[in-house]
Amino acid sequence: MAAEFPGPAARPNGAEPLCEARDVSVSFPQPSGGVREVLAHVSFAVGAEEVIALLGPSGCGKSTLLRVLSGLAKPTSGEVLYRGAPFEGLNPGVGFVFQSFALFPWMTVEENVEAPLVAAGKPPDEVRARAERVIRLVGLAGSEGAYPRELSGGMKQRVGMARALSLEPELLFMDEPFSQVDALTAEGLRAEVLDIWSEKERNPRTIVLVSHDIAEVAYMADRIVVLDANPGRIRTEIRNDLPRPRVYRSPGLLAMVERLHEVITGMEMPDAAPPAAAASFEPIPDATPGEVIGLLEYLDARGGREDVFRIAEETGHAFDKLISVVNAAEMLDLVDTPKRTVLLDAPGRRLVRAGPAERPAIWRDQVLRLRLFRQIAEALDRSERHRVSREFVLELIAMAMPQEDYDTAFARFVAWGRYGNLFAYDDAAELLTPPE
Amino acid sequence: MLVLAIVGIAAGVAGLARQWSGAYRPAVEIDLSFSALPRYALLSLSRGVAAYALSLAFTLGYGYWAAKDRAAERVLVPLLDVLQSIPVLGFMPGVVLALVAAFPRSNVGLELAAIVMIFTGQAWNMTFSYYHSLRTVPHDLAEVGRLYRFGRLRQLAWIELPFSVIGLVWNSMMSMAGGWFFLMVSEAFVLGTHDFRLPGLGSYMSVAAARGDRGAMAASVVAMAALIVLLDQLIWRPAVVWSQRFRLDDAGRADEASSWVYDALRRSRLVAWLEAARRRATDRAARPRRAPRPRPADGSWTTRVFPALLLTVLAGLLAWAAIASAALIRGVPAAEWRSILIDAGLTLARVLAAVALGTLWTLPAGLAIGLNPRVSRVLQPIVQVLASFPAPMLFPAVVAALHALGIGLGLGSVLLMLLGTQWYVLFNVVAGATAIPADLREASALFRLSRWQRFRSLYLPAVFPHLVTGWVTAAGGAWNASIVAEYVTFRGETLVGRGLGSRISEAAAQGRFGVLAASVAVMAALVVAFNRLVWRRFHALAETRFSLVR
Repeated sequence: MAAEFPGPAARPNGAEPLCEARDVSVSFPQPSGGVREVLAHVSFAVGAEEVIALLGPSGCGKSTLLRVLSGLAKPTSGEVLYRGAPFEGLNPGVGFVFQSFALFPWMTVEENVEAPLVAAGKPPDEVRARAERVIRLVGLAGSEGAYPRELSGGMKQRVGMARALSLEPELLFMDEPFSQVDALTAEGLRAEVLDIWSEKERNPRTIVLVSHDIAEVAYMADRIVVLDANPGRIRTEIRNDLPRPRVYRSPGLLAMVERLHEVITGMEMPDAAPPAAAASFEPIPDATPGEVIGLLEYLDARGGREDVFRIAEETGHAFDKLISVVNAAEMLDLVDTPKRTVLLDAPGRRLVRAGPAERPAIWRDQVLRLRLFRQIAEALDRSERHRVSREFVLELIAMAMPQEDYDTAFARFVAWGRYGNLFAYDDAAELLTPPE
Repeated sequence: MLVLAIVGIAAGVAGLARQWSGAYRPAVEIDLSFSALPRYALLSLSRGVAAYALSLAFTLGYGYWAAKDRAAERVLVPLLDVLQSIPVLGFMPGVVLALVAAFPRSNVGLELAAIVMIFTGQAWNMTFSYYHSLRTVPHDLAEVGRLYRFGRLRQLAWIELPFSVIGLVWNSMMSMAGGWFFLMVSEAFVLGTHDFRLPGLGSYMSVAAARGDRGAMAASVVAMAALIVLLDQLIWRPAVVWSQRFRLDDAGRADEASSWVYDALRRSRLVAWLEAARRRATDRAARPRRAPRPRPADGSWTTRVFPALLLTVLAGLLAWAAIASAALIRGVPAAEWRSILIDAGLTLARVLAAVALGTLWTLPAGLAIGLNPRVSRVLQPIVQVLASFPAPMLFPAVVAALHALGIGLGLGSVLLMLLGTQWYVLFNVVAGATAIPADLREASALFRLSRWQRFRSLYLPAVFPHLVTGWVTAAGGAWNASIVAEYVTFRGETLVGRGLGSRISEAAAQGRFGVLAASVAVMAALVVAFNRLVWRRFHALAETRFSLVR
């Protein structure tokens, strides 16, 4: 059957997709009442003989999409098909590699790999033979009797791969498989995964990979699906037809990395951001005042401007985390972001040049440009005993930003307000009071 | 609902006891010669082991049910919480009378009563631990099980049980230690003129004390301590070390637990052979059978109907017990109620006094031990043995001493309660003190804080969460102890210190079942209320304000 399908560079369009999501939405009820939409109307097909990467910022639902395709999570609406037909329960053609490895610490390498085979009711000889084959395939021969805790991160993920491959699934799903493995080892593992995949006589025929590492995606994938966050939806799809085997430093691959950078910055740091003061409540990005000020210091030390990818590289931050910090600074008018550059703005320069004792006052002025903070400050002023309850703030957040996780949003709100000495917060009594 | 459940259980037991017809059963003769001690120790041990087996079976069943059935969970977990916090010894007179009535001519009833009492001292925390483990199985491991269609049994054998092992072993150890308390009480149980003694270490001690045989008293204490140390070395320590292989985190801890028995076992050929046999057995179990078909999600008999039925039966039993108890309690006159409440106040005061007295000396002592690593390494195991030593065993000796000094049980019972409960506080303070981070201690040394300042601003807040845990356990133990500490039969005389504990014992001795049910219900309600209103707040405070982990 495998012979009927053309090589890896072919598009899936002609052939029947192996697996497909049709108009899938996923939402979770929030403890405080509302509904958080993780995926909104996503349609997406997985063809045969390809490597697909799902790329996007944290919270864009890429892991959720993978779990929906594998049947581990149920979509709130929409349907998932395997070979053109809906399936009951779990997708029968999927092997899964977990970000956290998810190995049973009380089982040896061999027992971990054999577990799915035994559960599938294979006879003992076959269990042993298949386990031996995949263990050899991932280069673990000799470690069969070891327990996972004796192994390094890279070796653990090899066990995870062997386990996923033991039933020879058509589809291999990998959820950020190398993010907990050191960089050098990860490089080796990526090449090995592609070797296993390119063996045309054997499964897996297709790999779906979740990642936030742009270089990894450019190196591995034929098709890169970029997702938007809040709610997660497919932003765009990019084909990557570079010939294999690929080389990291080749001009073609570097150009692809560059292009992905453009797409993501265009998406994550829109140039035409509406002025923060005019908007309704903006979601508070996942950044602490300390991180924002750190970014300003960094920019100031480099003459006030720097390429955003350069910053990520030099500071060792994950890209999506850095984007949050940049967005936070931009929201407060501390920086400007023409294209991929981050530019120190006048208030930002004032803040970073001020002494530690003056900084909170400047921060306070900037924060008060945001409506949420202004409303709370006014409420503190107006209310009889100058108190505002946590409930009150949560309600405001819930009304204005239904996409947010309220508790984390509130924690960020408190951190921002406290630094600007906008209010004091008593955690035990859950009360905001005016600063002393 | 909770109150209903408590009252229901109280009354159910009292109702059963009412059927006791007073049929006669010869009292057990205890042989005080030293050569008889091993036999008595073995008898005591086998009761403990039987009760433990029962507790384990209960744990595996009840915990699994509570964790897997959402509807049942809402009933089972609060019920377990109540069962855990009520003083089960309050039910003891009733249980003994009821079971003796069921087997009037032999000791079977008494043996069963002893096992049931130990069980009630062992089961709850084990069940809670197992339930908690089942509910906190890491998400990704559970997903692996679903992804590869392990099915319920394999999910249990490969994921859930291994994940629960650490908690289960630790709680089994605690339970077994707690079980000795109840074992000693039930072996040496005398109610007024009725002698319910069973041959064992507990009765040996009580007879020795009654006869004033100091040699025999000392011998039985030594035998008990030897039994505890032996079990610790031969069973619990190896089990704890073995359970470490089920750890989730990979980081090896600096102070790996070690056990010479475990090391010896691991080297032995027998164990290697057993391991190989186990592997062969699992291979056989893995023989091909029909490929598991995807199970339809909706109601099969075992997943839906049976649990619902079981739940209905349970609810029915509770309701029946509640009605029966209401009938019993209705007969209690108002004057009696008033005096029960006064008694409750007296016993509450004693419990608090015992906890306070215990804290007074264990807090400084525990800090001194815990802050000095060398001392704590030596003393920690000793404290552990002391904590699991059943205090009721010492009661006869202490009562004899008090009697000689002319101190009544009104005050003396506080001492008796203290005897058993102070170790919990000490144990926890030591644990807390060893966990104080070195950097905080260095900082306080660097800033030249005085001893008192250090105590107030570092040691006390740092051990506070542990102290609260110790208090809760100690208070629970003291309530239990009150039933045997306020009412002691000594050399044919009955000594009474007025309180709720003695009222329970007295009511049982005189066959006044309405009063018995009312007193037990009051005690249970009081303890549960105290837990909810006081200890829970302390816990919350400890977690938010004084936690060192956050």
